[in-house]
Amino acid sequence: MPIKSYILHFEKGQKEILLKALHQLENCEVIPAQNHDVVVLVTDTATEETDNNLYNQLLEMKGLKHLSLVSGFDAK
Amino acid sequence: MIQKNIDRRSFIKKMAAAAAMTAAAAMFPGIIFASEQEDGIPKGGNLDWKKGPCRFCGVGCGILVGVENGKAVAVKGDPNSSVNKGLLCVKGYHQTMCIQAKDRLTHALVKKNGSYVKTPIHEALDIVAKKMKQTIEKNGKDSVAMYTSGQSTIPEGYIASKLMKGAIGTNNLDCNARLCMASAVTGFLTSFGVDEPMGCYEDIDHADYFITWGNNMAEMHPVLFSRMLEQKNNRGAKIIDFTTRTTRSSMASNKSILFEPQTDLAVANAICYEIINNGWVNKSFVEKHCNFNKGKTKIGYGVEDRFNFTDEPQKIDFEAYKTFLKDYTPEKVAKYSKVSVKDIKYLAAIYGNPNKKVVSYWCMGMNQHTRGTWMNNLVYNIHLLTGKISMPGNGPFSLTGQPSACGTAREVGTFTHRLPHGEVTEEKDRRMAAKIWKVPYANIPSKPTYHATEMFRAVDRGDIKFIWIQATNPLVTLPKTSRYRPAMEKDSCFVVVSDVFPTPTSDVADVILPASWHIEKGGLYGNSERRTQYWKKMVEGPGDTMPDAWMFIEVAKRMGYGKLFPYSKENHVEEIYNEYRQFHVGAKHEMATIEVLEKQSGIIWPYVKGKSTQWRFNAKYDPACDNGQDFHFYGKPDGKAVIWQRPYEPAAEYPNQEYPFWLNTGRVIEHWHSGSMTRRIPVLHKAMPHSYVELHPEDAKKYGIRNGEKVKVISRRGSCTLPASINERGLPTKGQVFVPFFDENMMINDVTLDAFCPISKQPDYKKCAVKIEKV
Amino acid sequence: MRRFFIIGIFVLLAMAAIFIWSKSYYAEKEEAYVELPTETEKHLIPSEMGVFERASFAIDYATMDKNFTGGRSLDTYYKNRAFHGAPPSIPHPVDDELNMGDKSCLKCHQNGGFVVKFNAYTPVVPHPEKVNCRQCHVTENTTSLFKETSGGVFPKPSIGNTAFVGSPPIIPHQIQLRENCLACHAGPAAPKEIRVTHPERSNCRQCHVVNNKEMMDIGVFTRK
Repeated sequence: MPIKSYILHFEKGQKEILLKALHQLENCEVIPAQNHDVVVLVTDTATEETDNNLYNQLLEMKGLKHLSLVSGFDAK
Repeated sequence: MIQKNIDRRSFIKKMAAAAAMTAAAAMFPGIIFASEQEDGIPKGGNLDWKKGPCRFCGVGCGILVGVENGKAVAVKGDPNSSVNKGLLCVKGYHQTMCIQAKDRLTHALVKKNGSYVKTPIHEALDIVAKKMKQTIEKNGKDSVAMYTSGQSTIPEGYIASKLMKGAIGTNNLDCNARLCMASAVTGFLTSFGVDEPMGCYEDIDHADYFITWGNNMAEMHPVLFSRMLEQKNNRGAKIIDFTTRTTRSSMASNKSILFEPQTDLAVANAICYEIINNGWVNKSFVEKHCNFNKGKTKIGYGVEDRFNFTDEPQKIDFEAYKTFLKDYTPEKVAKYSKVSVKDIKYLAAIYGNPNKKVVSYWCMGMNQHTRGTWMNNLVYNIHLLTGKISMPGNGPFSLTGQPSACGTAREVGTFTHRLPHGEVTEEKDRRMAAKIWKVPYANIPSKPTYHATEMFRAVDRGDIKFIWIQATNPLVTLPKTSRYRPAMEKDSCFVVVSDVFPTPTSDVADVILPASWHIEKGGLYGNSERRTQYWKKMVEGPGDTMPDAWMFIEVAKRMGYGKLFPYSKENHVEEIYNEYRQFHVGAKHEMATIEVLEKQSGIIWPYVKGKSTQWRFNAKYDPACDNGQDFHFYGKPDGKAVIWQRPYEPAAEYPNQEYPFWLNTGRVIEHWHSGSMTRRIPVLHKAMPHSYVELHPEDAKKYGIRNGEKVKVISRRGSCTLPASINERGLPTKGQVFVPFFDENMMINDVTLDAFCPISKQPDYKKCAVKIEKV
Repeated sequence: MRRFFIIGIFVLLAMAAIFIWSKSYYAEKEEAYVELPTETEKHLIPSEMGVFERASFAIDYATMDKNFTGGRSLDTYYKNRAFHGAPPSIPHPVDDELNMGDKSCLKCHQNGGFVVKFNAYTPVVPHPEKVNCRQCHVTENTTSLFKETSGGVFPKPSIGNTAFVGSPPIIPHQIQLRENCLACHAGPAAPKEIRVTHPERSNCRQCHVVNNKEMMDIGVFTRK
């Protein structure tokens, strides 16, 4: 049951669109920064597989410039 | 066990989030995450966050109103708004609480035989329309007047102007913004030819020095002040407070310099003298982009009825200006301004240092001034001489006090001399208005009539027989209410008041119309940095309440102007705005469309090709500059800004033996305008339940007055009794008293003087002579 | 001849050194002269004194771990105060009974920090300009009472004084001598319940207002 946190950077002007898309994802907690184009994302998934799927979904998002994993835990 | 597991998981999630946030903080120092402010707000639920601008001051913060089951239950700062970046002030956070006040006006009230009778709104509007029509038929167009507000939305101001100037054909339309920033307008027009600041709030992020001229921003523009403090803490930017009274802002600033009231004129000239004398003039900028003018002197104070003044600008040269400034050496000015030579030179050195970026901020201290226009010109002089203007972090910036003083009063032009584009005196502006309004050109009169103060004098004289007051409370806020309250009580004038709450103004009304509050209607506001903000209706208003614009339209229809006002009840805000936008087509003032405004937290005009113009007149940022040079002051025919020769002249009234104190009036952080809204918010009322008179401790000692004891403040016009406040919120200089004006039970404006700036006609609330008595 | 040449070089070097040094010395002096005059006297409002005092540390507070759970709680905060607003007693032995306080207290209590001996973070004093500490703060040298008393339990201001969900809480206590909010509401020594989430915003009373000016409930606004 992995829990991971990411920092997301996105293209200029894409904040709104990206946030909307992020909010629609399951198993995600979205924490946008107020004064920078950065979002902190915490994912909490039941299996490795869903985690991988989620990761792939993130990568495919439009307007995403950069995605970096900060920490990961495997809570059992 | 399950419970424990969940706790463990949520703990790990928190850890993961914290790790990511810490990493982000390392990359972007000072980063703020939204969740910090949302602590304690129940997630999910039925809370629906709706976007809009704040109802109160001219800063124009973006707010999000939490609506649950049709009721506003929370307010937070809009993190997407570049104005406030998610932060509000105490008034902003609690604003929607006022609409639940028990004495809310929910139905129309019509005065019959001395008492108010609850009347269906449509009958009340019939009465208003009938009375207005009858008055025009009997006494002519110029016997009816309308007094609106810097709190009116853009559509409301636009409809008021169209009804009065286009349909009826009278210039008897003025607004309370005359009392608030008229001097800023005339200052901009005389120096640059077009109104409103060239810079924007982003200047705060770039400037090295903030110089505030008679401006207590910590209390009056707290959100901007916090942005300045952030720069002070993060970058070491410096705040210099130039003031007549020690305030919370003085305490927070790096340096506070006190001056004698009215001598700001002399000090500003002394700064210019020092700049020239030390060779700090940006010669190429001045040669390429500036003219020198002088105007009339000894221009009077407007205390008499029907006062009239027109300035006569004359071109002069740099040498003549230099000779003029010889009277303003720091040594000479220090004698009467009570500012030390060292401090004058210090200020001049800040402006003169070519490596430091300086923003000047001011609001009522400079505008509510019998030489307000001059004072505005003088600060522009400083910035023009040094070329520190229209650049990120460099520029003069006039702040406003009302949410749409810029958007409605100044841009739509709800003044007697203005039209949505230009002035009534200009034929091409009248032709443009007539075309867009679809009224005959001859309908729009070419001569301005009454400005705010003169309008109420005309009511007193009996010249105005019908007045409609909307979204403002003049019988608390006008100067010398001791004259204008009895004037409004006279039977000669029929008074209609549209408001949300009963006020001392609605007390004298013949018809009271219940208005929708801010979030109970849609609308548009324009803030100090030229930002237009649109919001949609968020909650239903109680009873018969109606948006002000719709009241005007209903009355216009009843008067037979229905064809000119073909708007629908549901979408009138958008329809009116689309019509109004036609006035501002072009790179100098292009406004964003409703569709764009709907998506974003406000947009700065000129909005050209999908891009806001943050710094006007600078070719790098402003597409309207077309002279091929770095700067283009396109408001003036020759593209050059004007440096004005404006002397020091004394105030209208000075303390003497009989009346030994200066009286200064103003605001406190808790209350806004006349307090009719903020006092109905329990949190704010409890924090500041009543007005007070601030004394210097030594003056208090001399009169044997202790904190909290009742003091009577008396002028030649009237008196007001208030509890003394010593060493509390502010500290006036010796020989000065200060009183906040929000309290309708302690009307300090009975005491103030209705002297005004002859050019802008804006009254001076900051200087008159009073005596005090211990009660 | 060679000797003269070497001496000549050294003389030249010395002269150059003196020249460069004096030039930079004067340049430095000139800089200092052009530098804007230093602060002059400041007018003070007693009730506003210290409001912005600790703002210079705000950034440090802001980077502090938000989930830090060590330090005091509101309970331990009130343990050595007779009532809210009362000067706290000194819960630890003091160096020197002869001393009025001053530096021997301020060396720890002006800016705080971790003390290994007590395994605790030092609370920060909100009024470091008042140096006669022992005037109000006394040590506790016994736990017994001279005679039993019936009084002593006073209501403490509660937390969560918000009008709306999410709106800024009002200040539920008097602020005389405690105008400097960050002293008690930020940093590792602040009781965790009242530690502010946004210490970088130093203009506290922009959003948080006192509500007990009159010391009792004054009700809502009603027109006269």
